[in-house]
Amino acid sequence: MSVLQGAVETTGPVSRLHEKGSFDPADFGVPTGREEEWRFTPLRRLRGLHQEAPGDGSLGVEVTAAPGVTAENTKRGDPRLGRAFTPADRVSARAYAGFGEATVISVPAGLESAEPTWVTVRGQGTAEAAFGHTVVEVGANARASVVIEQVGSATFADNVEFVVGDGAQLSVVSLQDWADDAVHLSHHALLVGRDARVTHTVVSLGGDLVRLAPSVRYAGPGGDAELRGLYFADAGQHLEHRLFVDHGERNCRSRVSYKGALRGQDAHAVWIGDVAIRAEATGTDTYEYNRNLVLSDGTRVDSVPNLEILTGEVVGAGHASASGRLEDQHLFYLMARGIPLDEARRLVIQGFFGQLIDQIEVPQVRERVSAAIERELTW
Amino acid sequence: MSEFIRACALSEVPEEGAVGVEVGTVPVAIVRADGELYAIRDVCSHEEVPLSEGEVYDHTVECWLHGSCFDLRTGKPTGPPATQAVPTYQVKIDGDDVFVALPETAQP
Repeated sequence: MSVLQGAVETTGPVSRLHEKGSFDPADFGVPTGREEEWRFTPLRRLRGLHQEAPGDGSLGVEVTAAPGVTAENTKRGDPRLGRAFTPADRVSARAYAGFGEATVISVPAGLESAEPTWVTVRGQGTAEAAFGHTVVEVGANARASVVIEQVGSATFADNVEFVVGDGAQLSVVSLQDWADDAVHLSHHALLVGRDARVTHTVVSLGGDLVRLAPSVRYAGPGGDAELRGLYFADAGQHLEHRLFVDHGERNCRSRVSYKGALRGQDAHAVWIGDVAIRAEATGTDTYEYNRNLVLSDGTRVDSVPNLEILTGEVVGAGHASASGRLEDQHLFYLMARGIPLDEARRLVIQGFFGQLIDQIEVPQVRERVSAAIERELTW
Repeated sequence: MSEFIRACALSEVPEEGAVGVEVGTVPVAIVRADGELYAIRDVCSHEEVPLSEGEVYDHTVECWLHGSCFDLRTGKPTGPPATQAVPTYQVKIDGDDVFVALPETAQP
């Protein structure tokens, strides 16, 4: 036995990728691009967000709150901030240390809100980097939906916290509809209460570089998180989604479904799907997948699913990833029925994304995303 | 034809080797091999690695991370894992300075 002492690591962090966490940017070195968490990101395009760029710029944040939901601006030091997460990388820590005012959206316990709360973040230009912080707190047994719409030009890093109370239901849609020159790095931290249910949908279409990292933790057993994403990378665009679901409670469920398409020279999509099931998280049910449709030459996809499972008593744990081009047989099937090639392509791609679009809970967003995908599909 | 822009002093380029410079916003490796100067985009086409940190031999520069070599004359990789060529640029020596001409489409 003594020979084996130390052969198996039993203490260390549960996930190597997230072993560091700190609110102090100085605890993270300036990334060089060789680190596992930065190796896919073209650092030279971050305009110094990962270095020392001062976050003096600002973005316009407008909130249209649903009836019964309150939205307010608050200063640093508010106890409602920083509950759902600890920054896991330098940019996230810099954003938390550097934001001027935070937006707090509160849904009182028991409120059933049919209307979405709409947050519009409007970039004012890329010259000055800006930091932001948003908290969405949902009281016990409440029901709400939040849409975060991000438009304009910006060099922007932010953190968004979602604190979801016991038995509550929250659906979130985050639209990255930036102008072509925007750079946006963001961390979405979801803390899911006992028997709460969260759906989190990411739609990334615009921007020069978008790196979005949604993470999930559970505050009690029975939580359910559905993370969905769809993205369309055009020539020169870098769209990166890094997910982390940390199962530390019993009987929780998670699903991660991300689909993307790429077209044009140097269109680059990155998907990292990390799921950790800690030893105490028995009864976990998790599945994650990523699909990429490569529509032209010159694109690049990096897709890396990771599972770390520390207990065998799970309901299910799986992952999958596939990247490929349009299936000739699908196109042939349609063309043999008199549908021209362009139309056939469009139909197959609409079908590919349709499965995720149909699940978006907010009808206005559903229509808008369908229209946006439609626009991307003009050959 | 795009303009020639000063990249570095000739003395900064090693006898047989490379130096990494920024020309405007574009990363460029100025390489000397067998007495000839070459300019090549200073980013490997496989991962984000500066080629100027690699070794120069046989008219190629080797990416130190995974070992793909890029022909200095054409930018084409001579072996995997890289499959795409790296852009090459026109270079000239004027007195003690090295100048590089970047196409307008050169990526930052």
